[in-house]
Amino acid sequence: MNNSKFEYIRCHICEAVNYVDNKETKCRRCHEKIEHNLKFSYHKTLAFLITAIIFYFPANLYPILISKQFGKTTTNTIMEGIIHLWDSGSYPIALIILLASVFVPLLKFVLIIYLLISTKYNIHSSKLDKHKLFYITEAIGPWSMVDVFVVIILSVLIHFSEVKIYPGKGATAFGLMVFFTMISALSFDPRLINHQKGDTSNAKP
Amino acid sequence: MITEEELDNLIICKKCHTLHKKVPISHNKKAFCSKCDILLYQNCPNTIDKTLALVITAAISLFVAFKFTIVTIDIQGLEKSLTLYALFMVILEQHQYIVGIMFIFLIVIFPITIIFSMLLLLILMKLKKGAYMVQRLLILLAHIRPWSMVDIFFISLLVAMVKLFDYAYIELGVSFVALVFTLILDIIITKNISFYELWELHTKIYGWHE
Repeated sequence: MNNSKFEYIRCHICEAVNYVDNKETKCRRCHEKIEHNLKFSYHKTLAFLITAIIFYFPANLYPILISKQFGKTTTNTIMEGIIHLWDSGSYPIALIILLASVFVPLLKFVLIIYLLISTKYNIHSSKLDKHKLFYITEAIGPWSMVDVFVVIILSVLIHFSEVKIYPGKGATAFGLMVFFTMISALSFDPRLINHQKGDTSNAKP
Repeated sequence: MITEEELDNLIICKKCHTLHKKVPISHNKKAFCSKCDILLYQNCPNTIDKTLALVITAAISLFVAFKFTIVTIDIQGLEKSLTLYALFMVILEQHQYIVGIMFIFLIVIFPITIIFSMLLLLILMKLKKGAYMVQRLLILLAHIRPWSMVDIFFISLLVAMVKLFDYAYIELGVSFVALVFTLILDIIITKNISFYELWELHTKIYGWHE
């Protein structure tokens, strides 16, 4: 089944199983286009990933939170915020923020890079595992938004004449970074994994 | 070539992309993927009615969640409430347009769109009318579903409240309860009916059409 040019495809919109050849086709149920050129998906994923990585630096270097207290301005980057939380004793919250806003984006970058490289150079590993990795990548994506949302909620609540909190430049960069990693993951076509040579785990039931 | 009926009896797991052949299952039974144990499909009678009831409740609680105050904080007599209106005002005042627009789309516009298109399409399915409309709504849902972040907003709210706990007296509003309710309903709805089943119902009700 794998070496013929026909293959089973799960429509990304309606999840119907399609049996298509290399020509450009439409899904038989929802009539949405099924992209036949997988190179396009590959390059789109790569481009959005690079954009996201570029935004990762300002997101971590610029302050995400600016607070003004009686004329005195203090700024906090993500790491400073986490350290401050850790010092003040709220360990679980510090861990949640650390996981959500530092590790999850890094994990996503690593996973997408691994998926791209391994599909491009046919690294021999189980396709099943790669599909699972991709599933994880999609699932953890939005969770890095936590920090941005926290800053926005705080900026609405702490909004008095003497004490104010603003989202900084870092918040914008961070939001955009999450946005681009999500688009990157969404534009990755799982068929790239299937088209890999060698392993034939996608056998007929 | 393979026929349409044969294709209809196939299903690809959304997690590991293993191809499965569907087998008929009895009422209230579920079929799981053989490789990764994720739910493939289930046989539940009158899913539309059940889901419709849940979606109506979710729509009401979402409305309440956005209409009233979520939390009110009190710092030495100074009070401030978190409402949608306050959010708009703060975004306009601080010129945080990129973050603000993202926030409003992810937290307000997309969840409302999802709930109301679900409501509309379920009603249309119940009446067995508007095949094309239902199809467009389902496609719309597929596109915006990854972008709804009410659950993440809720976690952020909890984190923000913990951060403020030392400085302020926090009072939970009506909307906070409504938000919890919306989230629970959302979990029940996604458990009750999957996207795949909605499309299956669509073909069952309207048939294949060009």
